[in-house]
Amino acid sequence: MMSLIDLFSGALILASLPFFVAGTLGLLRFPDLYCRLHALTKADNLGLGLVVLALMLQAQSWLQVLRLLLIWLLVLIAGATVAHLIARKALAAGHRPWRRP
Amino acid sequence: MQRGDMWRRTAQLLAAYLLLWWLLTGGDRHSWLVGGVTVGLALAVALSLPAPAAALRISPVGLLLFIPYFLWQSLRGGIDVARRAYTPRLPLDPALIHYPLRLPPGSARIFLLNTVSLLPGTLSADVSADTLCVHLLDKQRDPELTQLEQRVAGLFAISLQERP
Repeated sequence: MMSLIDLFSGALILASLPFFVAGTLGLLRFPDLYCRLHALTKADNLGLGLVVLALMLQAQSWLQVLRLLLIWLLVLIAGATVAHLIARKALAAGHRPWRRP
Repeated sequence: MQRGDMWRRTAQLLAAYLLLWWLLTGGDRHSWLVGGVTVGLALAVALSLPAPAAALRISPVGLLLFIPYFLWQSLRGGIDVARRAYTPRLPLDPALIHYPLRLPPGSARIFLLNTVSLLPGTLSADVSADTLCVHLLDKQRDPELTQLEQRVAGLFAISLQERP
């Protein structure tokens, strides 16, 4: 039997998929490193956020909810920090950002 | 740093990492085999970095206001970049801008650096002295950095510096 909560969880997981695809699509389609970092950090973080939300609805205890929240926050921090470090290194190495011709 | 402070900082970090590992693994005894090594490495890395100048002070009201703002902006940011990735003609008009920071150096500034990259169309690319270098996906779009900076200042209960 599917409950309303299961339905919500399923909908959230489905909603997350286009964002994971967008992250990868951006990685492949965007013209330079800087634009690709935008796609990877923002789209994937939102996708993961929706998955985490879906799983929170299925959690058996508050500890599990807290754990899921923690996982999302740690990924956010790691993603944003690494994106910044890559962009800074690229700028220092003289990679000029792509501009619309 | 004073010797006592050093010990206190080590103890605080150790407690925080142990708690984090315990929360993430649900206290599975076998996980400590990996956890012990991980916590040790994290502690070594954290202690080799310069300590933050002042302790973080977060305003509870600021936090309550910041969470919904952040979630909403993350949603907008994800949708915005996804839309651009899906659109066949690739609607991008990137630019690099220099934003004069009004947040004082320290934890608040680092927090700003990280949140900038998660908000719509902005990526913090570099920071020097009092300027934040931001990569924009679309220079036609208002990056809303002033608003974010004010929110972060509210979160840490600090006031912004005057622009020189």
